[in-house]
Amino acid sequence: MSIIEEASLHSETPKPSHFRGLGHLVFVLLESKSFLTFDLLRRNVFGVISPAAAKDSYFWNVQLLPITLGLLGATVGVSPLHCACLDRNGSGLMIAGDAGAGKSTLTAALAKRGFTVVSDDWTYVSHRPGKLTAHGMYAPIKLLPDSIRYFPELRRSAPKKTLNGEIAYEVSAAKVFHSPVKACSAPKWLLFLERTSVPGCHFVPCRPGHATQYFENNAEKLPAELPGAAEARSETIRQISMCQSWILRTGDDPLRTAQAIDDFLPEA
Amino acid sequence: MEFTSPSNYRNPLDLLRRFVSTPLRTRFRFGRIAVLVDTNDFSLLPTLPLDSASEDFDTFAFKWKLVRDSDVFGHLQEPLVLLTGELTIVGMGPACLLGLDRQRRELFGFVGAEVDTKAFQEFLVPFLCRLSTEATEANRREIIEGIKKDAVDA
Repeated sequence: MSIIEEASLHSETPKPSHFRGLGHLVFVLLESKSFLTFDLLRRNVFGVISPAAAKDSYFWNVQLLPITLGLLGATVGVSPLHCACLDRNGSGLMIAGDAGAGKSTLTAALAKRGFTVVSDDWTYVSHRPGKLTAHGMYAPIKLLPDSIRYFPELRRSAPKKTLNGEIAYEVSAAKVFHSPVKACSAPKWLLFLERTSVPGCHFVPCRPGHATQYFENNAEKLPAELPGAAEARSETIRQISMCQSWILRTGDDPLRTAQAIDDFLPEA
Repeated sequence: MEFTSPSNYRNPLDLLRRFVSTPLRTRFRFGRIAVLVDTNDFSLLPTLPLDSASEDFDTFAFKWKLVRDSDVFGHLQEPLVLLTGELTIVGMGPACLLGLDRQRRELFGFVGAEVDTKAFQEFLVPFLCRLSTEATEANRREIIEGIKKDAVDA
């Protein structure tokens, strides 16, 4: 990774972040007026960043490093999966679900119940024979403004524009919910979250192949220049799909849903 | 022929727009360089003489892939050029992002909606030709140095 700080780049007039890719190259223009290129074939990152970005830990921890892992992960055997990961007594709980299902509010609610937070939006999964590991990046939990009704703790924070342009709270689970956080966990359970209008929480065991199909169908297409990466990712997905898995249909609020999960999961 | 306009290209599994189809193709030549261009927009086909015979031994073949990014507005900004061992990257704001892989002789580019034909043909095409020429010259030097080294080793 070669990053140059360029004094002529100013960030007074931020513009929305912009991502594009062709072949093995990915271009990223960040709001902080930083320009980065990812060479997936040679596993290189290089770019220029503004002095403001260079000094900003948020830029490094919440933007550059997660973006780098998200883009280059597949080239080094780490599969980015769109799901949250929490840990209870050393066992990992992965929570997947379509956009708007409420993964992040549920993550926050579980954090309040004492689950350890590994990741919120993206989890980076690697596997070696017999060992599957879910990694997080200590990224903040992103909560939409209306989630304040479940989490009065958010009153001490202010929502702001996030990388994808949404207005949301981005909060540290440790600081706001006093939850432990950790960098990785061993996945044991999978939950596929679905919202319903029927009150209550229902845990429906997944049919064989459900998890594999879900993650494969939701995985980003990879370029032809990386023929081994898609294969490696499929193997990771196959491994993670061997965890105990359920579809969780909930019509309850996130706090009650978190309690139901806490009660439902067997003690590790 | 079916055209995929990136303005209505919405694939949640291709947020980077890597897989926008580029069904338009032309070949042209400048100097000793033959270029194959793939694009999704007629206006991004360079108006240079078509290459009718690029089988010459001395020809360097390049591949350009140029995508009209119709969701991106704004004009070209001052180029920011980054050079690494194998790549030349040029950013002119979101309206134009270019990456040239000198080793693989591939050039990839996104061109925004408001970059008009005049700006493309009169500024960008000569710029891309210059980048490709410089890359070819760099390759030639490497090849010659490689041949010299092989001769010394032998």
